Amino acid sequence: MWSRVRYTLRETFDSFRRNATLTVAAIITAAISLLGVGLTLLSQHAFDNLLSRWEGGVEMIVFMRPTTTPDQFDLVERVLGEQTEFIESFTFCDATCSLAEADRVLAGEPGVRDLLDESNITTQFKAVPTEGTDIDLLRQLSTAFEELPSVYEVKFAEDQISLISQLQSFFGFRLLLLSGFLLFAAVLLIWNTIRTAIFARRREIEVMKLVGATDWFIRIPFMLEGLLHGIIGGAVASVGLWAWNSQWTSGVKEFPANSGFAALVVVDGYDQTVMLIMVVIGALAGAIGSGIAASRFLDI
Amino acid sequence: MIRLENVTKSYSTEVVAVRDASFDVAKGEFVFLVGPSGSGKSTLLRMLNRQDRPERGAVWVAGRNIVDMPPGRVPHLRRNIGNIFQDYKLLLEKSVFENVAFAQEVIGRPSHVINQQVPAVLELVGLAGKEDRLPHQLSGGEQQRVSIARAFVNRPLILLADEPTGNLDPGTGEGIMRLLDRINKTGTTVVMATHDQRIVNTMRKRVIQLDRGVIVRDQARGVYE
Repeated sequence: MWSRVRYTLRETFDSFRRNATLTVAAIITAAISLLGVGLTLLSQHAFDNLLSRWEGGVEMIVFMRPTTTPDQFDLVERVLGEQTEFIESFTFCDATCSLAEADRVLAGEPGVRDLLDESNITTQFKAVPTEGTDIDLLRQLSTAFEELPSVYEVKFAEDQISLISQLQSFFGFRLLLLSGFLLFAAVLLIWNTIRTAIFARRREIEVMKLVGATDWFIRIPFMLEGLLHGIIGGAVASVGLWAWNSQWTSGVKEFPANSGFAALVVVDGYDQTVMLIMVVIGALAGAIGSGIAASRFLDI
Repeated sequence: MIRLENVTKSYSTEVVAVRDASFDVAKGEFVFLVGPSGSGKSTLLRMLNRQDRPERGAVWVAGRNIVDMPPGRVPHLRRNIGNIFQDYKLLLEKSVFENVAFAQEVIGRPSHVINQQVPAVLELVGLAGKEDRLPHQLSGGEQQRVSIARAFVNRPLILLADEPTGNLDPGTGEGIMRLLDRINKTGTTVVMATHDQRIVNTMRKRVIQLDRGVIVRDQARGVYE
């Protein structure tokens, strides 16, 4: 068993050495395409941070002052509950919930976030309109709310998120499409690298077959080689993603306060999940490319 | 050990490499396949280790008809068959030891077995002390000895040799034949395709002569003609 493992590893690394140029090209292509996939996932998550307070079809948020009394809360709650024709449902986000939301929205502005606590954060009523409701009806209601002393402000999804949503879907789809093409190119390049490696070692393969090596025994070093191309590509892309995210996180402070960019920072460990996803996709791409090549071109 | 029954193999409608060939080879026998180029000698050898399959007929090796053998079983068949070629087919980047050890590595022999059996077989073929040389540092005869060592290291039941002396001078060729004869005397069946009239006439083993794919002579203790 150990001799087989040693043989497989030796043959794999020998092949790496012999095919150095193609190997490097395959790894770079895989890394670039995986970085594209990673950036897409990361940017989508960053946009999700920005839009997190509007999840679940929320169209209007009534921000309540920290000093609001229970009676004042009851008043707003009762008014919202009475508008059954155009408000389907509403929820209350208390101080704990609002602080958790601030963790995401103010991720890029830790200084501002540090100033907030349960005593000074605004709580929120989030309203989901009935399907087909004219938002202007909600706006009329908001004018009435804004006159209440307990209401800090009223915000509408329409004002806040339409541009961001468009940007998210525009870039998300196109980045993913581009990454898909690049990933396909990476699979093809890995496939070609393995095919070249098989061709370069056709004499050895012929001898191996004649002395009774099984097809799987011959295939495994080539498949392992392709797998390593993908994994190394994924690891290189992870380093690139980490560098990108670090640069962005430190650079976002330069943007104007309250511009919304602070929310486009990923600090909840999701970047590590994306790195893992990239390595797994890389491994899959490598295994598919090399697996096809090793199965198809072994009869030489 | 080997039986061919009405074997026919063609590469196209016009080129029939072997036509209706039948013969038996007993265990431990030494058989020469002779005939001009293109007479079907190499095709016959290729069918014996399932590199080629006939259109018709049966090829029995060690009691099994290998024509319909599932592909997954072919490697196990080949572990019982050693192959020697005119061009040696050595791996040029590997040393003598590594070339021979390769045949054991690829069938999963553990390293302590390899380290024991490879030096022994190199001793048998007269290459002791040359384990670390690369093929290009050896003479043609020595390279063929490496090829024989690689073919024999797994102690196959059958040794197939395709023109093993074709690239060698007569003296070196005789040395190779003495080696094959020694291996044959250990009980290994040897089937050798050759053009070499002198060797066939000297060895006086069984001769199967082919002409345009047809067996025209099968003679015990025969000569080339």
